Amino acid sequence: MSAPSLPISGAAGPQSGIAGFRFTEMLALLFFGVVMVLPVLSLLVSSFNVAPPGQPAVYGFSNWIEAFSDSNTLSSLWTSFALSTVRLIPSMTLAVLVAWLIARTDMPGGNVVEVLCWFAFFVPDFPLTLAWILLLDPHFGFLNSMAKSLHLVDGPLFNPYSFWGIVWVHLGTGGIWFKVILLTPLFRRLGATLEEAARVAGADTMTTLRRITIPVMAPMILAIAVLSFIRGLESFNTELLLGVPADIYVYGTRIYDYIQDEPPEYGQATALGSVFFVILAVIAIFYRRFFKGERKFAVITGQGYSTARIGLGRWRYVALGGFIVWFLVMMVMPLVFLIIGSFMRRYGFFNLSDPFTLHHWKSLFTDPIFLGSLKNSLMIAGATALLGVLLYSAVGYLLGSPRKPKSGPVIEFFCWLPWVIPGILLGLGVLWIFLSTPLSTVLYGTILGIALALTIQDSPVSTQAFKAGFLQLGQDLEESARVTGASWFYTYRRILLPLIAPVAMTVAMLNFGSAMTTISIPVLLYSAQSRPLSILLLEYSYTGELERAAALGLLITVIICTMIIIGRRFGLLQMTRSEEGPVR
Amino acid sequence: MSSDLLQFTNVVKDFGGNRVVDGIDFTVAEGEFFTLLGPSGCGKTTTLRLLAGLEVPNAGEIVLQGRCLAAPAKGVWVPPDKRNVGMMFQSYAIWPHLTVFENVAFPLRVRREAEDVIRRRVGEALELVGLEGLVERGATQLSGGQQQRVALARSIVYTPSLLLLDEPLSNLDVKLREQMRTELRALQLRLNLAVVYVTHDQGEAMALSDRIAVVNEGRLEQVGTPAEVYEHPSTRFVGDFLGRTVVVRGTVRKDGGRSRVAIGDKGEVGMPADVGDQFQDGDSVRVLARPEDVTLERADAAGPNRITGTVEAITYMGDHLEYTVQAAGRSLALAAGKKDRYAVGSEIKLVFDPANITILR
Repeated sequence: MSAPSLPISGAAGPQSGIAGFRFTEMLALLFFGVVMVLPVLSLLVSSFNVAPPGQPAVYGFSNWIEAFSDSNTLSSLWTSFALSTVRLIPSMTLAVLVAWLIARTDMPGGNVVEVLCWFAFFVPDFPLTLAWILLLDPHFGFLNSMAKSLHLVDGPLFNPYSFWGIVWVHLGTGGIWFKVILLTPLFRRLGATLEEAARVAGADTMTTLRRITIPVMAPMILAIAVLSFIRGLESFNTELLLGVPADIYVYGTRIYDYIQDEPPEYGQATALGSVFFVILAVIAIFYRRFFKGERKFAVITGQGYSTARIGLGRWRYVALGGFIVWFLVMMVMPLVFLIIGSFMRRYGFFNLSDPFTLHHWKSLFTDPIFLGSLKNSLMIAGATALLGVLLYSAVGYLLGSPRKPKSGPVIEFFCWLPWVIPGILLGLGVLWIFLSTPLSTVLYGTILGIALALTIQDSPVSTQAFKAGFLQLGQDLEESARVTGASWFYTYRRILLPLIAPVAMTVAMLNFGSAMTTISIPVLLYSAQSRPLSILLLEYSYTGELERAAALGLLITVIICTMIIIGRRFGLLQMTRSEEGPVR
Repeated sequence: MSSDLLQFTNVVKDFGGNRVVDGIDFTVAEGEFFTLLGPSGCGKTTTLRLLAGLEVPNAGEIVLQGRCLAAPAKGVWVPPDKRNVGMMFQSYAIWPHLTVFENVAFPLRVRREAEDVIRRRVGEALELVGLEGLVERGATQLSGGQQQRVALARSIVYTPSLLLLDEPLSNLDVKLREQMRTELRALQLRLNLAVVYVTHDQGEAMALSDRIAVVNEGRLEQVGTPAEVYEHPSTRFVGDFLGRTVVVRGTVRKDGGRSRVAIGDKGEVGMPADVGDQFQDGDSVRVLARPEDVTLERADAAGPNRITGTVEAITYMGDHLEYTVQAAGRSLALAAGKKDRYAVGSEIKLVFDPANITILR
């Protein structure tokens, strides 16, 4: 079989082979320009617009003046910073410790611990916060009642509606587990050689951890800390449930408050949003500055790779016990009380003649609003997962490609932008655009609009996951297929897509989960027709129907866990087949 | 030149202002084993990738079997999947989600061959590389050597017009490497396959190639048979890269028909017959020789092509001795048998063989 000796016509040109690549690049730029830059710009512009939305614009500074003459504004900014800083310290310490125990020591059951962390990460924070209310509420909280009945104290022992209450709840919600999940593979890749060298040089286990392991990991730990700090500033759900009743406002709940006002104070909300965005942008710029050229610490190579683990002796059982206690207290106990709460006639009143009932579950499933919301939520989460995979796999391919698109840094910047735009702010920006375009009928208050906004929010993690996936695949697998005669699309379908499937599955699961539970984005964008479950949960807990809220919260948790189990089934199949391959 | 399978003419490739391939020129004949040899970063892998269509050249022309694959000046560029070349990657690039069979069958499926044809040809290819019986094995459950065989089978199963090999042996351990080297050469001869082979290992290049092109800084330094480039390197770089060299400086002396190089007052070396015309009397030149082509003799031995030196140090190497000899203002490392021993500080004679030296300006 010899090749036809036909000269290829000149029309194709030398660049024809990468025209598709360029096209994708342009498309990515256009998309990000529209969905990322436009909301931010519109936010800045509209903060100077003193006319209500829909009316002709009138520009002035009054929004800014009003927002800042209000002492609440500054105090909410301060509270955001204080909360994020205070909870960063214990959560980072715990996360580093657990990740190190899993990856680098002989703590028994490390794999199970890791799986538990994944599970905990997917448990939504809103139901957890509800659970803590059930446990700690000054009036009916179980732990407070216990303490009172044992005559340990006169008044309530705990008060979750406080600064420290918010900090406490955050020690058990998504963020901390996510840190463990991020850090564990980093510790694993570190390999044992550096630590072994330290041991041989005479350092004991703790000294090695303190003097070698952590300093080597420092840039990455710091990077994760900064990213978590920013994320912490944007935290919304817990602050809404626990902070607002005690008049503790963070910046996100303050914006929400402005918009809930009658009439909504969009101007002040956007002004506050803009200030916050500027602050975050400054942090982000410093962060980038600081971490440029920090790659020198990435000595983590495959050379002389050894996975020998550190022996902890008897301490390994202490470590495992500590983790189990933490997990029981922060995860199992709240969930158990959530279950109990959903079955109680009136939560906290255990001495009623017949305290348990199925009433709340029944009323939930017969509530037409619930059924509609369930459908909405599944559609929104499904659309978000799908959109995210389609979009960010293409972007990740661009960024992970050895061809290095010219606009790579710009695209990368856009991908990270949503990380520093808090959900409530993104919702606000998107809302502003939806209202002011002719597309408002398609987007405002619709499932599609919410899904689009949620997809934007998913950009940083999704893009990085796909980028890392494609980088890890390397170019050889793709190029070798091309050389054997496969067209680019055939290669994509038969080689790249199957190999990237586990990543796609993970991204889809993450985005599905966050779409099911995020409140801050849909809260400004939903309408009665597109109300998702997370908003319904918010409404239940606002109207004091805690038992029904508990039932709904549990249901959302169950839906997400089911998705993970199904997802892992598919993902696992792919992973076991490529166990020793470049994927994972 | 029309009988050449491949013409790679004056090809240039820039990477962001960096000229990685700087006007490389060579041809490959049918059934020839052609090696691009050079240090890492010299442009040899880029040259291979240009051939495969994985890079777009900035200038020059690549013609395979009379068909122009790339010529920027004419606006011609054929994408990799339309070139019908085979390529084996350094990492083997075995697709981890496919079995051995499906890996090898992939190029045939792309070409929409019938199922029974695929079955037969994959079987043949796997048999050729000695992997029959591992058909349904997951590709990642293989050892390095087996993966390499799969990659080889995959790149020859569709009978490409040209096989490109990018350091295919570098990831194997020494013993396996030698075995695979022999098998690779035997297979290439049996299939009469034209091969362009990239390596930085001069031993590998010598053992396998019909011709070697030594690449340095994006240019070809010399193209020739292994013996030509080894014994008569055309540049100092080629000489050094292909192994250790002995270099001494001298001056050309011509009287009558005889041309010699005088090494100071230490002696003279006769010039190879065919190069005498290229030099003038009084030219300053360097004489290059391989250490094994220079023999040591006692200082009182007489004869032509000898220069005088002093033993500086002796290293015992087990099967031979290595002398560091001070001669013509340089320290030369020379090997010698254990029969005759020369003491440190003693004077000796270095004997050159005019047939095995290279004179460079």
